[in-house]
Parts: sequence; structure tokens; C-alpha cells
Amino acid sequence: MPLIEVNNLVKDYKLNVRKKGLLGSIQGLIVPEYKMKRAVDNISFSIEKGEMVGFIGPNGAGKSTTVKMLTGILVPTSGSISIGGLSPSRDRKRNAMRLGVVFGQRSQLWWDLPVVDTFELLRYVYKIPEKTFKSNMALFNELLEINAFMSQPVRQLSLGQRMRADIAAALLHDPEIIFFDEPTIGLDVIAKEKVREFIRFINKEKGTTMLFTTHDMQDIEKTCQRMIIIDQGTTIYDGTVQHIKDSFGTTRTLVVDFSENVGKIEIPGVEVVEEKDRKKWLRFQKEQVPVSGLIYELTQKYGIVDLTVQEPEIEGIIREIYQGGIKFDESVCRVC
Amino acid sequence: MEKKPLYNIFELLILMTKYIKLSLKSILEYKFDRTFITIAIFCREMISVVVMYLILARFVHIKGWEYDEMFFLYSFLFLSYSIFVLFFAGMRDFASMIYSGEFDRYLTRPLGLMFQIIVSRIDLSAGLGHGIVGIILFTKTAFSVGIIWSPKNIIYYIVILISGAIIQASIFMFASCFSFWTIKTENLRNMLFFNARRFSGYPISFYPGIIQKLLMFVIPFAFVNYFPSQFFLNKAEMNSFWSGYLYLSPAVAAIMFVLVYAFWKQGVKRYSSTGTSM
Repeated sequence: MPLIEVNNLVKDYKLNVRKKGLLGSIQGLIVPEYKMKRAVDNISFSIEKGEMVGFIGPNGAGKSTTVKMLTGILVPTSGSISIGGLSPSRDRKRNAMRLGVVFGQRSQLWWDLPVVDTFELLRYVYKIPEKTFKSNMALFNELLEINAFMSQPVRQLSLGQRMRADIAAALLHDPEIIFFDEPTIGLDVIAKEKVREFIRFINKEKGTTMLFTTHDMQDIEKTCQRMIIIDQGTTIYDGTVQHIKDSFGTTRTLVVDFSENVGKIEIPGVEVVEEKDRKKWLRFQKEQVPVSGLIYELTQKYGIVDLTVQEPEIEGIIREIYQGGIKFDESVCRVC
Repeated sequence: MEKKPLYNIFELLILMTKYIKLSLKSILEYKFDRTFITIAIFCREMISVVVMYLILARFVHIKGWEYDEMFFLYSFLFLSYSIFVLFFAGMRDFASMIYSGEFDRYLTRPLGLMFQIIVSRIDLSAGLGHGIVGIILFTKTAFSVGIIWSPKNIIYYIVILISGAIIQASIFMFASCFSFWTIKTENLRNMLFFNARRFSGYPISFYPGIIQKLLMFVIPFAFVNYFPSQFFLNKAEMNSFWSGYLYLSPAVAAIMFVLVYAFWKQGVKRYSSTGTSM
């Protein structure tokens, strides 16, 4: 049985319609007007123990709302959530005991106090046995180097340090499931990499099930096997990251730096997408035009200074999906 | 499925002390600032007492009340308010917890919401500021107004202070609950609460019937200080009220808390079905 099962999840918000001007706000106070907004529209998925799943989607797609329902902050309008047999809204406390939650934008640490104080408190909140606490602290220090700033007040930490401390805090009690809401937001490249590395390690060593929401595709590529793309409250893709790349990342771009000006190039299946000085960007489908043949043909005809082959990045693919350039059909979706 | 509570009483007590320790430690991070606020609150409240003293000093008594008795009546307000802000400041401040998102974090913890709200906030400055004024008034008057401090009276006194604290906490919590509906009530609350409190600085028998009724049944400050004082002072004017009122403060506190708690439950339910960000 999957660890997390979500069936036909729906969440409606009642929005207060505010009218313009003073008269409008008085009217709104006396006769409030409401509009329903469906933030999550019939989402279903299931996640096995030990899986790492990335939740992506443009702003306002319903990711955060879904995570809020999974963590017990919001109650679904309809549909069901089962996390290891418990409902996050009905068994909020019992469910919370097994969860770790990291909100990238909001710290769970006591702002004015040294990091170690929050950790000590969490030890009692989650009833962490002395031995587990010690070994986890040692492990987190080894991987995240948190001891260096354990006794500093949180308000004095850099964002990277704070995030490392926050992640460690969420993992102290060896939760079965961890939710990361934008865990790398605002971090520099090195700090991001460190966080990802740590997350991967914990997943492998402890078998913790992990769910991310992020806007950073690198996060997904480097940590998750599976991703769920949400847009306008519905799942538009649920499958592996590799699958998306294989299905939509079939175009290649060959960047050729010619030794002289070569004028127009006409090769069937190849399109010149950009030109600059003596450089040309040639786009083709890798199934139609074998790259070795193309390079051979070019070197035969022209003098070439430099050559590079570009694969489309996942970012680009996702961008196209958001903009509606790529449509999914039944064959692509594992669960739609 | 077993439905055993997650924590036993012992564990909850330890957690409570841990939380309180951290709250105090946070406050002490800003020693200078907090000391200043404490002094400011003390001065503000003390000035009101001094002004009242200067005015009353021109009379021997008003309507049969001597000024020591008036200050004894006044001391209840300070002491019960002090207990309220020391132990239940979270009930006063949770509107800000909702707006800051701290409340979302509480929902992801395995602890009860009310528990977390109460143990996460201590207003030491206001607690001390009001507390010291209260203690000064109490020590100046408690032994000169003819009260015999028998064990029975001492117990009554303690129960009354706690009841008074709960009554005031309930009023604040009632106002804070509106933030679940994203309605800000801070100004309205301050106006009603602090004006009612100002009225209560004097015996309610001074006021016309409508204000008496307001202070008894709407914002029941009469049960915070007037009736408890009457229990000790036994003024003749008490004849115009039902004698049962003398013992009703704990019941008023309990009823108010239960009602406000039900309202709060509704608020939490509403919150978790909407969230405030939307």
C-alpha cells in the first residue's frame, strides 16, 4: 500500500469580493459578497515509501494549497488524503508526529535565540530519545556543518546557515515524511548544492519519503526521480523527469563556428535558428538527422573552428509546458 | 486504532516549562528595551493612581467609600491583569500569530493549538509593570481596610485573581478570534476593554444603572474587582445587588472561557477551511 494516497482532492476558497472606493468597502462590510475559487481541482496521486517527488507548477497553480492540506494546515473541500492510514485533518497531531515540514520562506527556529535552543525544545516536542538526538546531531553536523553556528542567535545567521539549521530541525525526529516548500529559495549555488546533497543522502540512508515544491528545476533534476506538474489546480503530468526529457527533449542544437562566411546552408531537416558573425545555430530532431552525419557533411563542405551540441534543458521544456506549447496526451501521462 | 493521548501530564508540564524558559530567554535578549518598557508601563499606571489619589485626597470619602477602600478595589485590576499577561498573553496576541504565519507552524506540530498559543507568549514587561503597581496598592491597603486574612479569605482572594485574569483573557481572545475571518478588531477591543477598565477603577455603585449593567453582563469587570472587594469590605450598598454575585466570579470566568473557546473552535475550523492568505 502506498504511504501517501490522495484521491480526488478538491479545495475551494471563498474569496471576499472587495469593491472599489470607500462606498464599496462600506457596502462590502454590510453585505459581503463572495466568489468561489477552486485552487485545487480533483488531484489524485499516490506516493510509495522512500520516494522523492517534486511538485512543480507556476505561481498560484495550487502546489502550496496541496502541501497545506497534506500537512494538516488546511482541510480539503472534498476528496481524501491518507498518510500511512491517517487523515491529516482528523488526526492532525498524530500525523504531525511523523512529519517534518520545511518552509523555505518561514523559519521554524526561535528568531532571537541560539539555534541550539530550538533543537532542545524540539527534542521534547517530538519526544526524541537521547541517543537518536545525539546521533542525528552528529550526522547533521557532519553533513551540514551546523555546529559552527549552533550557539548564534538565528537572527544573525546568513540565509544559507538558517536554511541548513531549519532543515536539520525538521529532520531531528527522523520523520517518515518530509515536505519541503521551496527549500533552496534565495540560496547561492554552493549552498543549494549542499542542501540537495544532504536531502539525497537522507533519502538514501534513512529511506525518508520526500515531497518538494520548488521553482528551481535543478532541485528536481538533481534530487527527484519523479515529478508532478500542477497547473490551474489539476495534475498535468505525473512521471519521471527522464521521461519528460526523452519525450520532449528530442531536439538538438548544433552550434557551429565557421572559419569563413558561408552564406546560406540548406540541409534537409535542419533549421538555422540564429546567426551571429560566423556562428550559426542549427536545430534538428535527433531521430531524423543523425548528428554524426550532420557534422561529417559540414566538415566536408566548410572550414570549421568550433562545434558544440546543445541538449534542451528541462527548464526550457517546463517553460513551454506552462505556456501551453506542449500538450500532454493520455499516452504521456501516467496518471491524469 | 488506539486513541491514547500523545503526551502524558508529566511530559506536558516539562514542555510547558521548556517553552516558558525560551520565551523568557527571548525577552532577556533585549534587556535594556524590556526594562524600559516595564518602567514606562509602571509609570503610566502609577500616574493614574497618583492622579486618583490627589483627587480623592480632597474628600474624606465618596458615597461611603474611603480612599484606602477605593485603592483596594483598584488593586484587583492591576494584579489580575498582571496574571493575565504573564500566563495568557498568547490569548491576547494570537491575531498576530495568524497574520505572521506562526499559526500555520503550530498546526504542523503534534501539540494542541491552545497549548502552543498560551505557552509561546509571556508579556513580562506588562506583567511586572502592572504587577508592581498592584502589589504597592495591595500592601498599602489590604491591612488598613479591616480584612482578616484568614486561610479562607486568602484562598478566596487567589481564586478571584485567577478568575479575573481569565475573564480579561477571554475578552481579549474573543476579539482576537475575529482574525480568523480576517477582521481586525484591535482598536475596537482596546476602546471597549480599557474604557470598561477605567470605569471599574471606581465602585460601580457610582454609575447609572445602564453602565452598571454593562460592567456586569457585557464586559463583566464588576466580577474582576467590584464584587470581590465587596466580599471583603461588606459595604451597605451591596444590599442593592444579589448577594450571590460575591461568589460568582469563578463561574463567570468559566462560562466566558467556555463560550469564547467554542467561538475559537469555530474560528480554527473556518481558518483551516480557508487559510488567511487567500
